[in-house]
Amino acid sequence: MTELSDYIASREAVLDRVRRLLRETMKLRLEPEAIDPDAPLFGTGLGMDSVDAVELVVQLVEMFGLRLGDSLFVSSKMRTVNTIVDAIMELGDEP
Amino acid sequence: MSLEEEYTFVRHSAALSRMEHVQCVRIEGEDATEAVDAICSGDLWVRDGRMRQTLILDERGQPIADVYVCPDDDACILLFEGMTASELFEYIDRYADPELEIRPVDLRPTHELISLHGPYAWEVLSRWLTPDIIGLPYLSFYYFDHGICFRAGKTGEYGYDLLVHREHAGDAWQDLLGLVSAVRGGEVSLETLDLCALENGFFSVRHGSVDGLTPLELQLQWRVSARKRFPGIEAIEERRAEGVRRRLTHFVARDGVRAGDEVCSADGPVGRVGSAMLSPGVGGIVGTALLDISVAHPGIDAFFASYSDTKRPIRTISSPALFNRSLLVDPHRHTYETRDRSMDPPLWQGALP
Repeated sequence: MTELSDYIASREAVLDRVRRLLRETMKLRLEPEAIDPDAPLFGTGLGMDSVDAVELVVQLVEMFGLRLGDSLFVSSKMRTVNTIVDAIMELGDEP
Repeated sequence: MSLEEEYTFVRHSAALSRMEHVQCVRIEGEDATEAVDAICSGDLWVRDGRMRQTLILDERGQPIADVYVCPDDDACILLFEGMTASELFEYIDRYADPELEIRPVDLRPTHELISLHGPYAWEVLSRWLTPDIIGLPYLSFYYFDHGICFRAGKTGEYGYDLLVHREHAGDAWQDLLGLVSAVRGGEVSLETLDLCALENGFFSVRHGSVDGLTPLELQLQWRVSARKRFPGIEAIEERRAEGVRRRLTHFVARDGVRAGDEVCSADGPVGRVGSAMLSPGVGGIVGTALLDISVAHPGIDAFFASYSDTKRPIRTISSPALFNRSLLVDPHRHTYETRDRSMDPPLWQGALP
């Protein structure tokens, strides 16, 4: 279970940072834990628009060194909080 | 038509469906928006012509209806699942201020709801209605001669709901079916739409048990206002104060997992499967499980679904499970016939446990 516990601790740390980043970038009046990990970023989910998305991508590069690369990759990763966390975890770029 | 064929229509071309499970009402009167705001859990600040997804909750904070609210001048159109029109009207009578001036109208006797889904649904609709439909933003609507077109959908693909006057609905269905067939699509059942909704992580009030669950466990806090009171808010506040103990989490499995199975780790039970369906796109089972909050995360291979003596490994995943074709289709550049097959990555890009 240690490996699982380590993974969960690591994931929760990244999730918390992404939630706080979203809260600041999008000026959400929500506590971080009120941002559901599977909430859609766009539409009536968290209400992200294209301007927010550009700002978020810039912040993800700065904070995590996350290179989102081509537009296809961005399309697949910028869907929910969890898909962003996945991208960070997969690239192993958590500082 | 097999579920696999119907699935291909939704995921690769265009699909047509009769949305008989969706209720449609229009709340008219100068206080219509106020009355709808009083019964829905979400903030309804949205301008005319746009739609907003929200919920109606019971006093335990449990969702009883999944709702699109569409403000329309001095009225609100509601498209919803989970309750009947008469149940909704009773709910308004019970929870909205009786002094409000409203006139509820059930649109079902006079209209049919027909839906289009798929990466090329926009192409079908642009031929049937107008090419301008391509520019209709997600979660917005506009009137046409015989009804209203809503850009919505719960499949992760382009989606449109057409509320058509009943006298024109038969012709509309036949015309649309012909156009859908021209892009190698066809009619699909509710079962197929439910599967696609599950794959893409859309909440369904009809699919999987929500008994005893609030938006906090269902990952639907984004549909709950932090600024207003509404039926069910006390229960949500109470649950929040106690601390959320479980969270709905998506998973995949190779086979054999069923709704109701216990989810276990090596140390014991950690949750229960809420819904599970065989997905042609994934090549296995997709589902949701209500997991202990301490382990309710994607990317975990350490659990199995257990029923009687059988144990099936599951892998928790981030929703949506699929890389939808509609993300790759640009209505300004592509058509079904000229689609770029080189940009055809697998729908499912993960691994099964």
